[in-house]
Amino acid sequence: MILAEARFSLLPGLTVIGIVLGGTYALAAIGIVLIYRVSGVLNFAHGAVAMFSTFIAYQVSVVSGLPGWLGLLAAVAAGIAMGFIIERLTMRPLAGKPVLTKVVITIGWLIVLQAAAALIWKANAYHRAVKLVSKSGFRLTGTSVVVGYDQLTTLIVALVLALGTAAVLKYTMLGASMRAVADDPEAARLWGISVNRVTAASWMAGSAMAAIAGVLITPLITFDTFSLTLIVIDAFVAALIGRLTSLPYAVLGAFILGLVQEYPTAFTNNSGMHEVATFALLLIALAVLFRPGSRKLRVA
Amino acid sequence: MSDLRLVRWTAVGVGVALGVLIPALLTDFLRTLAADAAIAGLIVLSLVLLTGMVGQISFCQYSFAAMGAFTVGSLVAGHHWDFWLALLVGVFFAAVVGVLVGFVALRLSGLFLAILTIGVALFFDRFVLAAGNWNSFSGGLSSWRPGRPSFFGIGLRGEYAFYLFAFGVLLAACLLVWNLRTGKTGRVLRAVRESEVAASTVGLNLTAWKLTAFGISAALAGLAGGLAAVRVGSVSAGSYDFLHSISIAAIAIVFGAGSIASAPAGGIFLIFGREALIDWTPFSTQWFDVILGAGLIFQLVHAPDGVVVDIERRITRRLRPPRQMPSESEQRSPERVPAEVG
Repeated sequence: MILAEARFSLLPGLTVIGIVLGGTYALAAIGIVLIYRVSGVLNFAHGAVAMFSTFIAYQVSVVSGLPGWLGLLAAVAAGIAMGFIIERLTMRPLAGKPVLTKVVITIGWLIVLQAAAALIWKANAYHRAVKLVSKSGFRLTGTSVVVGYDQLTTLIVALVLALGTAAVLKYTMLGASMRAVADDPEAARLWGISVNRVTAASWMAGSAMAAIAGVLITPLITFDTFSLTLIVIDAFVAALIGRLTSLPYAVLGAFILGLVQEYPTAFTNNSGMHEVATFALLLIALAVLFRPGSRKLRVA
Repeated sequence: MSDLRLVRWTAVGVGVALGVLIPALLTDFLRTLAADAAIAGLIVLSLVLLTGMVGQISFCQYSFAAMGAFTVGSLVAGHHWDFWLALLVGVFFAAVVGVLVGFVALRLSGLFLAILTIGVALFFDRFVLAAGNWNSFSGGLSSWRPGRPSFFGIGLRGEYAFYLFAFGVLLAACLLVWNLRTGKTGRVLRAVRESEVAASTVGLNLTAWKLTAFGISAALAGLAGGLAAVRVGSVSAGSYDFLHSISIAAIAIVFGAGSIASAPAGGIFLIFGREALIDWTPFSTQWFDVILGAGLIFQLVHAPDGVVVDIERRITRRLRPPRQMPSESEQRSPERVPAEVG
């Protein structure tokens, strides 16, 4: 990595890609935070749910040739269904069991979904990305950077959903119940809130977010079963920056992560710089925000 | 000697005898699988040590194994080192990486350790072992091809000889972990697992013990990697990726990280389970992971301690002599078994 060889001219373009990538991570991270806050479970299968839903969209809109928005809809439905199944069949019966047991169950789901998708859609085959919006774009005035309409849409959808989630949590009855369950499930139950129903709602909503994130990210990364499953790590890093509890900081973390992953491309040709950036940020987040005695750490 | 110990040592004896005899009757192909099973068993054993004894979870055991495998690969095939010296260096490197991970893990537990180890696994997959980044270690686009060594003058080129060697290594490692478990180390590690606060108040140096556990666990995985390198005769990154790591962790949990017997059982299941799937059912190998994951989920929902641990507990319960002669009224009441199972 020699600075003299740096290609600074690439930076503006990388910024655009980084921000768009960050938007999709933000969506995935919101799902993680939602599920974690309400049920206390860190969902390792989040990326796998995103991946499986995305392949449903692929099946509908690329293989069957139906419109892209129908594929997205199918993906969201699949995400909600998976969230419901995971919660209802494998989380609820374990009420009162150690959280780590439930977390390992989500790893089981990761393995199942990943292997099943590899069986159905072939792990190493080339998959055409799910196309929602035209790829043509416009030039940012005064620069040479072209922004695709698809990229713009991705960013807008991510921001709208992030704000929407915040609004739902803040202003609706369901949101208030979710916050109540997150703070103290026992007290919430005494207030007449159906903890089970709220928990299920958080899993379904969180998984739907994962599905949307998965569909939106397909043009940006290698579209195969493994790579999509792994966006759970990116979502974790973003969520960790928000201490797993704060939505705004998780969204901010997602954008930081997106940019940090893209910028090294300007300086080095080494492969895997994405992962190095992710890993570095992960270590920093764990070391700084989760050091013993740090504020607001929810012991899980 | 109590019934329980008698049964245990008989089981071990029979297991070892079968382990030596059965592969003698098999074809060479099945012998290579048996050697693979012993090697996979070593990795399960590394998790038995880490998860079962210290309570630390890890999803990057194959990254530790990769340290062993690629060190052996590059030193033997690239620099013409003696295999045994290279293996020693590889195990040492793996232990060093293990201690480094353990160092970060000191302040983490449970969930966060799981995230960290997945991060480590991906860092290895996509950076350390990726072609072009560190070719003198990863071999670049061509994989290392280390040859089989000889063991005190006995060539290990034959599949049965190599299997016996791998099986011996597994047995020795099991013995090592068994010793750690029953000795002072075992008591210390159990104390650390049960309550870190309590362990530190009685003066145990948590830092040193946790790092030691990570180091030994990674060393065992590295040893497995070194063996796998010469078993296969070629070292490529695809065999040490993240998916392997979570599969082996799933197996350790399904069989029960609390028991050393899970190591051979898990190794056999991982290798021969796949093979049985191809030979005896219309399913392809990819179904194995679906079954494994579903088994893991089912297992945790119904018997969270693991299959082997569950079986052992049943046998123990049947054989353990009653602590005191039960009075007549107690004899009539059933044992308090169900409460223990949950």
